[in-house]
Amino acid sequence: MQAGEVPKINMSSWEVGESRYLPGMEIKRLGKERFVVYIGPQHPGSGHMRIIIKVDGDVIVEADPDLGYVHRTMEKLSEGRAFIKIIPLVERMAILDACNVTLPYVEAVEKLLGLEPPERAKYLRVALCEINRIASHLYGFGIFGVFLGHSTMYMWGFGDREVLVELAEKLTGARLTHTYPIFGGVRRDAPQNFTDNLRKAIRYLRKRLDEYRKIFLDNPVIRRRLEGVGIVPKKVAVDLGLVGPNLRASGVEYDVRAIEPYEAYDELDFEIPVFEEGDSLARAWVRVEEIKQSLRILEQIADKLDKTKGQQIMHDRFWAKAPPLYKKVFEAEGRVKLMPLFAILRVPKGRSFARTEAARGEITYYVESDGKDKPYRVRIVSPSFRNAIMFKYVIPGHRIADLPAIYGSFDYFPPEADR
Amino acid sequence: MSSTDKLKDFSEKLKENLGDLAKKVEIHKGFILVEVELDKFKEAAKKLKDMGFDHVKSLTVVDRIKDGVFEVGYHVSSYLNKELAKYVVELVTNVPRDKPQVPSLVDVWPSAEFQEREAYEGFGITFEGHPDLRPLLLAPPVAELKPMRKEFVVKEEGIYRELPKKEETQASSKRSG
Amino acid sequence: MAYLSVWTLTERVISIVFWGIVKLIFWPPIYQFVIIPGLAAAMVVVISIIWFERKAAARVQMRYGPWEVSPRLAGYLQLFADLIRYSFQEIIIPRTVDLMPFLTSPLFALLLSILPLAVIPVSPVKWTWPLTPSAMRYSVLIAAALTTLSPIFIVAMGWASNNRFATIGSMRETFLITAYELSAVIGLFSVVATVHSFDFTKVVAFQGGGKWLGLINPLALLATFIATLISTSAFPFEISDAENEIVAGPFTEYSGLMYGINMGSAYIKRWAMSILIALAFLGGWRPYIPPPNAGYVTGYLIPSLIVTAKAVIVMALMSFLRAVYGRYRIDQALHVSWKYVFALAIAGFGLAILEGYIL
Repeated sequence: MQAGEVPKINMSSWEVGESRYLPGMEIKRLGKERFVVYIGPQHPGSGHMRIIIKVDGDVIVEADPDLGYVHRTMEKLSEGRAFIKIIPLVERMAILDACNVTLPYVEAVEKLLGLEPPERAKYLRVALCEINRIASHLYGFGIFGVFLGHSTMYMWGFGDREVLVELAEKLTGARLTHTYPIFGGVRRDAPQNFTDNLRKAIRYLRKRLDEYRKIFLDNPVIRRRLEGVGIVPKKVAVDLGLVGPNLRASGVEYDVRAIEPYEAYDELDFEIPVFEEGDSLARAWVRVEEIKQSLRILEQIADKLDKTKGQQIMHDRFWAKAPPLYKKVFEAEGRVKLMPLFAILRVPKGRSFARTEAARGEITYYVESDGKDKPYRVRIVSPSFRNAIMFKYVIPGHRIADLPAIYGSFDYFPPEADR
Repeated sequence: MSSTDKLKDFSEKLKENLGDLAKKVEIHKGFILVEVELDKFKEAAKKLKDMGFDHVKSLTVVDRIKDGVFEVGYHVSSYLNKELAKYVVELVTNVPRDKPQVPSLVDVWPSAEFQEREAYEGFGITFEGHPDLRPLLLAPPVAELKPMRKEFVVKEEGIYRELPKKEETQASSKRSG
Repeated sequence: MAYLSVWTLTERVISIVFWGIVKLIFWPPIYQFVIIPGLAAAMVVVISIIWFERKAAARVQMRYGPWEVSPRLAGYLQLFADLIRYSFQEIIIPRTVDLMPFLTSPLFALLLSILPLAVIPVSPVKWTWPLTPSAMRYSVLIAAALTTLSPIFIVAMGWASNNRFATIGSMRETFLITAYELSAVIGLFSVVATVHSFDFTKVVAFQGGGKWLGLINPLALLATFIATLISTSAFPFEISDAENEIVAGPFTEYSGLMYGINMGSAYIKRWAMSILIALAFLGGWRPYIPPPNAGYVTGYLIPSLIVTAKAVIVMALMSFLRAVYGRYRIDQALHVSWKYVFALAIAGFGLAILEGYIL
C-alpha cells in the first residue's frame, strides 16, 4: 500500500462518535494527516479479528473493530438441523466454555418442552459450568499475560488450566467439546472418585491463585500498565451493554446466576464480586475473585454430588421410554446413551428465551419452534459480541501500547463473538 | 405459582405504562412480548427506557415469510434496576418484507449499535438514523445476498446432502461392493 | 644429509607458518574484533546466554525449555540448530522497500554494535593495545561514541521497510535513543571524572586492590546498567519491537538470516556494553597482573578471559529479568528513563567528581 493512501472507511461514525468519548478521553484534533494501522487479522496481538485504528502520533484517535473472520453462520445453520444436533454446533463458539454456552440453548428448548431436569443432573451441570468458568478465566489470564509481555503468566495460566480440562475430561469424557447438557438431563454420570479429584483440584488452585497475585497482579510493571487504563464508567458500561466481569468491574452488580437463578444456583451460597474502578486492573481482579467464588461453588457441589449419588440424571419423560439396555449401561458405566427419541424430537410450537452467565458474561438464546423437528429461528447473542462494541468507544484516546492491555482485560474471544 | 403471578402483574404494569402504544402484551417462556405499530416504535422504546430498561440484550429478527413481514424485536432488560432485571421484555414491531425500514434505536439504546448492523447485513433491514450502517460480520458481497432470510437456502455437504437419484446409488453400491 | 636438510627446511616452514598464524591471531585488531571478546566469543556467549535465558524462564514457568535437540546437554544445541535454520531460510524482500538501506542497515547495525570492542584494551601490556598509545588516551571516549552509532541504523531499517508497524517501531526507537543514550554516556563518563583520564588502561589500573569503581560509585553503575537494558530492549523495556503491539517493530519485514542478524545484534550490543561495564566498573582484568615480558598467553589470553567472565555475569543478570517482568508502555519507559535513570546518572557523575577530588 502506498504511504499516503487512506482506505475507504465510512467516516460518518467518526463525526457522530466524537461527542461520545469517555470523560477525560476527549481528543484534540490536529490538522495533520492521520496514520491508519490495520491490527490483524494476522497479527500476534489481535486474535482472529481486525481493528482498524487511526493514530495521531502514538495516540489512537479512532478504532473500528472489524469482526467476522471466524463467522460460522451458526444461526442460519441451526435452522436446518434437528434440535439435538444444534448443541454440538453452538458449543464450537467457545470450546473451553462449552457447557456455559450451550446451557441456555438446552434450557430454552426445555422450557418449550415443559420439563425440568432431575436434581442430580442440575448439580452436574453446575459443576461443569464452574469448571469451565475457571478454565476460561485462566485461559484469559494466559492471553492477557502474553499481551503484556509477561510470559510466565501465560505459561502458568495455560498450565493450570490443564487441571480443569482433565477434571472435565473425567466428568464428560471429552477435554473440550463436551456436549454435556442435553434435553432433560446430562449425558453421563460423574465417575467414582470424581468428587475427591475435584476437592484436590480446589485445594491446588487456591494455593496457585495467591502466586498469581504475587507475580502478575501485584507486579509493579503490570500494575503501571493496567491502572487507570481503559476506564469504563458505570453509566457508559450500562449504555454500551457490556456483560460479565467487564460490567461488574465498572460497579454494576449484575450476574444472571443471582438475578434469575437457573439450574441449582438458588441453592448455592456465593457472592458476586464487584469493583468500582472500571479500569483494566479491576477487570483482572474481578476474574480472580470470581475464580475464588467458583471454587466455593464447586466445594458445595462436591458435597451435593456425594449426597445424591446414584440418583437418575435424565428426565422421566425420556428415561421411562428408554430401552432396558440403556438402563443396564447406566447402572454399569454411569452413562446415558443418546436416546433414539432425540433424533425425531418434535418441540411444541412456541417461543422461549433463556440466559445464563457464561465465563465472559451473559449469553442469551431465543429459540422459536413451529412444531417441527427443526427450530424456526435460533438467535444467539454471545458475551464477546456484546463486549465488541467497547473497541469502538473505549480504545480511542489511549496509546497503541494500551491496545493489548485493554483487549486482554476485556477477555475478548473472537470465535465466540463471531458465532 | 407465584412466579407466574408476578409475571402477570408485571405485564399488567407494562400495559398500563405503555397505554395505547402497545398493540398486545403477551407472556412467553422467559420473556414478555410487547408488540407495537411501526410508527410508534421509537416512542414505545423511549417509554421503556424511561421505565428503566437500559440495555438491549438481543436484537431478534424473525423472518415470517408466510405473513410477508419481518418481526423485529429488541430484547431489553435492566442492569441498574434490580427488580426490572428479573424480566426480559421484547419490544416487537412488524415491517413489510418488501419495504424493510425501521427507525434505529441506537440513540435510545446505544448498546444496539452492532446488533442493528448485524440485522442489516443478514436481513437487509435498513435502520433509519443509524450512525454507521454497514455490514459487520459478513463481507459486503455476501451481505448482498441477505443470507438470513428464509428464501436463502443453505446448501450443505456430508450427511445433510440430499439423497442421490436411484440409479446413482445402485451404481455406487455396485462399485463399493 | 639431504634427508636431514629437507626435514629442517620443513620444520622451518612449519614453524614460520605456525607462528605466523599465532601472530595473526594475536594481532590486536584481529584478536579483539574477531576472537575475544569480538565476534567468535560474542557468538558463543550470546548463544549460551539465550540458552540460559530460556532455561531459566522455563524453570520459573513449569516447563523444560530447550530439550529435544540434545537431551544430554540440556538442549544446548537447540540454539545452534536455530542458527542453522535461520541461515537457510528464504529471505523475502518486499517490493515496496527501499532496497539499499533495507539490506545494508542490519549489517551496519551488527558491525557497529561490536565495533567498540576493537578500540578497548583487554590487557595492560602495551603491544596488545589495538590503538597506538597516543590514541589509547581517548579510548573511553571513542568506545562510548561508537556505542551510540548502531541505533541510527535500527531507525533506518524501520524507515526503509515501508511498513506501518516498522515505522511506529522505529519512531519508538527514536524516542528511546534520546532517553537512554545520555544516561548511558554520562554513567560511563563518571569514571573519567574520578580517574581524571579518558584512558581505559588507567581506569582499570585505578581499580587495583579491590577499589572497583562499581563499588565506590554504585549510582553510575546502576544508571549505566538500566540504560543498557533500555538500549538493548531487554525485558521490562522491550518496547520498540513489542510483539503484541507492533509485530516486530523495525524488524517486521525481515525474514530468514536478516531477522536472525537483527535479533542477534541487540544481544551483541548488550555484550559490548557488558564488556565496557566490566572494564569501567568491575575492575577489568584485575586482580590479575601480567608478569613482565608476558607472552601471548599470559599477557593477552588470560586477561581477556577474565574480562569476558565478568561481562558474562553482567549479561546473565540482564537476561534473567525476562521471566519476572512484563513490558512498560513507551511513555512510562520515557518517564522512567528521564525522571529516574537520568537523575541517577547525574547523581553518579556528581559523586564521581567528588571522589575524583578526594581520591
